[in-house]
This record gives sequence, C-alpha cells and structure tokens, in this order.
Amino acid sequence: MRFPRTMISAGAAIVSLALVLAGCGSSGGDDNDSSGDTGTGTLKLWHYESANGAMGKAWDKAIEVFKTEHPGVTVQFERKAFEQIQQNASMILASDQAPDLMEYNKGNATAGLLSSKGLLTDLSDEVAKRGWDKVLSPSLQTTARYDDKGVMGSGNWFGVPNYGEYVMVYYNKALFKQYGVAVPKTLDEMTAAMDTFVAKKVTPLGMAGAEYPAGQLYYQLALSKADRSFVDNYQLYKGSVDFKADPLKYGADTFRDWVQKGYISKQSASLKAEDMGTAFIAGKTPMIVSGSWWYGRFATEIKKFDWGTFLFPGNKLNAGSSGNLWVVPEQSKNKKLAYDFIDITMRPEIQTIMANNGGVPVKADLAKVTDPKNKELIANFDAITKADGLAFYPDWPVPGYYDVLVAGGQSLINGSKNPDQVLADLGKAYDQGVKEIKNG
Amino acid sequence: MTRGKAGYWWYLLPGAVAFTAVVAVPFGTNLYLSLTKWSGIGDPRWIGFDNYTRLLHDDVFWTSFRNTAAMVIAMVVVPTLIGLVLSATLFDVIGRRFGPKTASFLRATFYLPQVLPVVVAGILWGWLLRPDGAVNAVGKAIGLGEHDWLGDPKTALPMVMLVMIWVQIGYPVVIFMAALQRVDPDLYEAAEIDGAGWFRRFQAITLPQIRPETFVITLTCTIAALKVFGPIWALTRGGPNHATTVPSYFAYNAFFNKLQVGYGAAVATALTLVIVAVSIGFLKLQGRTES
Repeated sequence: MRFPRTMISAGAAIVSLALVLAGCGSSGGDDNDSSGDTGTGTLKLWHYESANGAMGKAWDKAIEVFKTEHPGVTVQFERKAFEQIQQNASMILASDQAPDLMEYNKGNATAGLLSSKGLLTDLSDEVAKRGWDKVLSPSLQTTARYDDKGVMGSGNWFGVPNYGEYVMVYYNKALFKQYGVAVPKTLDEMTAAMDTFVAKKVTPLGMAGAEYPAGQLYYQLALSKADRSFVDNYQLYKGSVDFKADPLKYGADTFRDWVQKGYISKQSASLKAEDMGTAFIAGKTPMIVSGSWWYGRFATEIKKFDWGTFLFPGNKLNAGSSGNLWVVPEQSKNKKLAYDFIDITMRPEIQTIMANNGGVPVKADLAKVTDPKNKELIANFDAITKADGLAFYPDWPVPGYYDVLVAGGQSLINGSKNPDQVLADLGKAYDQGVKEIKNG
Repeated sequence: MTRGKAGYWWYLLPGAVAFTAVVAVPFGTNLYLSLTKWSGIGDPRWIGFDNYTRLLHDDVFWTSFRNTAAMVIAMVVVPTLIGLVLSATLFDVIGRRFGPKTASFLRATFYLPQVLPVVVAGILWGWLLRPDGAVNAVGKAIGLGEHDWLGDPKTALPMVMLVMIWVQIGYPVVIFMAALQRVDPDLYEAAEIDGAGWFRRFQAITLPQIRPETFVITLTCTIAALKVFGPIWALTRGGPNHATTVPSYFAYNAFFNKLQVGYGAAVATALTLVIVAVSIGFLKLQGRTES
C-alpha cells in the first residue's frame, strides 16, 4: 500500500508544475474594446512598484488625476509582486482575467516573447497619435519596439516606458575623504583609487556574485572597450559576437584581475545584491557599481555619512535602458482608458513627482526638482541618452542567460575557472540561445 | 463469493477518480510536453524525443544527478545511521538511567529542525555560512581564517549536505524510538541473562526488530532526497557554477527562467522515472527481506 501512495505524491509534486503551465492554452481572444466612451467603465490596472518608491508615488498621483478626468470610471488597481507577474504573465494575458493595463518587464524574453505570441496590443498608432515617440529618445524606444520574432529594437510598439535606469558608481564620500581619494574621472584613476584603499586594507568595491552585480561589472568593463556596433551585435543580433576577443575578453580578464588585486573580495561569490547594498548602506564599502534602482533607497536609509554617484569612469556606453513598460494586453476590454492612463503618466507633473523621489523620469521639469543630487542623477541619465549611450544589460540577449552570467561571475570571483573558460561558457550559451530565437 | 468481491469495487471508484485527476492526467500532460518544444505560450510544437537526446548530452543534467547522489548520502545514509545510534542510545541508555522524560525531551530537540520550514532553515544556515557570518567569525577567532563556504564550488555541496543532515536527523530518531518501544522487553531481558552486551543486543535484537521502520525511513528519505528543492533554492540557487544543482531545481530553471517548458518537462519525467524505479526496487527488496 505504501508504494503507490508514495509514488503518487512524489510524481504529483513534480508534474503539477507542468500541469499549471499546461493550463494556459492558446492566446486567441477577440478585441472587444468597450471603451469608446471614456466616461464610464472600469480600468483594471496592475503594477509591481512599491508604494513608497519613486514610480509608486508618481503612479498613485496618476491614478488620482485619471479619476478626476474620468469621473464615471472605476479604477481597479492591484499591486502585484514582481515574481508573480514574471512567472504568470503568459497565463494571465491569455485568459479573460487579464487587466486593461499592466507594468511588464522589457526585453526579448519577456515583453518580446509575449508580443510575438499575440498577447500584447500593438500600440504603434496610439504612440504616433499621442506623441509618446517624441518624448522617448531612440535608445529608450529600443525596449518598447519588437519585431515579429519578439526581438527588440525594431518593429511595432508593444510597450511604453516612462522612466529610465542606468548603472553608475555609488561612493561613500566619508571614506573617500578619510583615505584621501578623489572622485576618479578615468579608469586609470579608478584603479589608482582602488589601490589606495587596498593599501589601507579596505576592499574598495562591494560585490555580490550570486546575483546580477558581477555580470553588470563585467559588462561595464567590456563596454569601456566597446562601440555601438558591438551592442547592436550582442543585444540585437545584427552581427556575430566573438567571446574570445575584446571587448568581452577585456571585461572578463579585467574582472578577474580586479579580484586578484583585492579590489573585489574573493569571499563575495555567495553574496546577493541585497548584501552588497546593505554593506554600502552600513558604510562598510567605499564603492559599488550598480543601478539607479538603489538610489531612492540609499537616499532614505543612509543617514550617517554623505554619499554620491558618478558615471563609470571613461565609459561612453553604460548598462541601462528604459524602465519597465506599460503594456496593454490584447484581451483588454478598455484599451482607450489604458491609453489615457499611459498618457497621464507621461505628463511632466507626474514625471516630476518621480524625479523628486529618486526616480529617473523621461520627461521631468528639472526646474521643479528640488534635491541637487536628484538633479545630478537625472542629468547623468539625460547625458547618456543624448549620447546614445544606453547599452542595456548583459543577460538580456537570450532567455535564461542571467543564470549563465551569475555562474560565470561566481567562477571569476572564486577562481574556479579562468576568464577564457568563463567566456567559452558564456559564448556557448549565447550562441545556443540566439540560434533558438532565430529559428523560432 | 465472486458477487461479494465485485461489490467492493465501487469503494475504489473515488480513489481511481482522484488518481486520474491528480496523477494520471498531469503525468500524461507532462509526458506529452516533454516531447514538444514550448515556451509556455501558444501551441507546443511536437519534436519527438529531441528533449531526451539533448538531456543525455547536457553536462548540467548529469551534474544534477551526481549532486542528487550526494543528497541521498546527506538525507538518507548519514541521518539513518546517526538516527539509529542516537535512538538506541536514548532508549537503552538515557531512558534507563535518566528516565523516559529525559529521553523524550532529547528526542524533541533532535526533531526540532524538522518542524522548521526547510526554506527558513536554509535561510538561517545561509546567514551562518555567509562570508561575514557566525561560522567565519568562529573560524577567525580560533585562527582558521575565513572562507566563502557557499561561494566555493569545493565547499558549497558539502555545506548543503551538512545542513540537510542537520535537518533530517530528527526524523529517523523519532521513528526508531517509536519502533523500539514496540520491541518486547523480554527479548532484551533474556539476552542480558544470557550475557549479551549492549552491542550484541543491538545487533541481534534491535536491528532485526525495527527493520520495517528502517525500510520506511530509507524509502521516504530517498524520495525526499531525489526531489529536494527548497534548501537548494534558499541556500545556493544551484550555484556556484552548478555545484549544487539538483534535477528539481534544473527543471524549475528550465520552466520559469529559460522558458523551455518542454525541456523542463523532460527533466521532470526523467526524475519521476528514477523515483518510481527506486521505489519499486526498495519495495521488492523489502518484500523479499520480510518473506
């Protein structure tokens, strides 16, 4: 009697995962937009920004404005968890339970995949009509447009971003002052600064090998030797990518070199991004290389010392992109209301709320941004976008590449593989992924 | 007689319906998906046995099964052996000298890690083992220096095994102590009168008497080890560099991160077949031993 029951429970546990996924059939669905009259109806809106974050605060205000301008419309807002949307979006969007408007991750493996399966509304006409394309610079538009295979950078609009993000260097001004280190303007000055800290037995650069920071630093280093055509080849498959040559070889070699020189702790392979961030907040780390998503939190939580940011020294290209997208599910019943809401979030008054709370809006009124640090954050982003300097993220090109990069970063930190071996692993997974995307 | 037997078949109907709905249909679906290429959206594309061919050539898949063997050692072999010695000591030595209440209290302390959700246990051990955690603090204090226990491929798997031994020990202790309570004390008394020492009594009476429980523990723990997921997810996410990847995490990764649902289903099917084969092997062995 024990055998069947045990076997059953074990089998059921494993296969139930597949059953859940199997439940989502084909997309289908008709386009029954009942919102010809925006005076009545319901706008079902989902996003996953925290209530006290820059985007959360700005979009709360946008909901207020929307209600004022659409007095007969009920707004059904639900705050979702990032993972909830990430793992269930395909099932939700294929069902009649889909919201009218949703925040969703940008990139080939997320918005691109869903658009190629017909689950997202083509927003091209609306974008042109409402002028959203005039607000967004070409590099910000990259993540909003997808071709029929779901590859970003060209084709129709399937999402609209209204904020940006980029990778920079956060530094502890107090520690810089204590050790007599000036803010570096070139990569050589950066290494000289790190040498100073190492000489004083201080590990200069916070790191977290178990999550994205290692991959982003490797990419930032590679970008210091890269140009736009490399980014286009790597991210948009416009040409071949050689993992045995610079810039990627420079990225991996330099990363390992920095570990060996003590710029990065050899004990950081198992640490998570949160560990790196909290160590910086605690004043233990002179510098971290990470994204603007930390900015608001640092502004709120760091009270005991002064801190600042600077762009990765010498880089014309930086990891970064538009923020996540507003997408309108194909199953949305009130598309017109959804477009109206997106339009409100693009207005300067909403964008300025974002700016004043440590966000990186795409169209803020800088004269109304009160904090000089916030102004600097936005000005740096503007400088990057104007110079066409957003290079997206290293894990974007193929689905599942994040794990490959994490494994590579950990190997570079703990020395279990040399840079050439890591690059061979990265290249193999990249080539296989690109082949699968191209073959559909 | 025949009519009587036929009448009982109706009682099996609810179970058969539940089995079909909860096991047979999902398993059939999983099997079907494992023969397709599917991102989780749209219609699956039939590709025959390609996913299985790919599995056979996937180094990570074989690594995951090698790691599973390590988990069997950590979750079955070591805890069962330690549990056997601990329960016999608690029952035969502590219980006799200090009373059953003391033995029960100690049994409860060994069982405590089993009460903790395994993910919570994983997070707690993650804190202890992190570079600036308590384990390194102690290591530094006694002059052993620091080590990134979960970040080094040489130590990550042994550390996960250590955590699982800690989690698992309480289970065999509790089952074995319950088993020991049903052993007839007269047997021990007679053996003692005949001059048998503790180890002789343990070998000749305890072990044969608790054999059914040993089978139960071994079988259930082996299945738990084969499909272990929670502690891996909480402690290492399969890293560093796949040093702690197990089949269930491998399948999860294929399903949700790589959007390779067909491939993930093939991994899940392979794992299910291994579990079924191991279970059948165990039950046959048990049947032969008992007969």
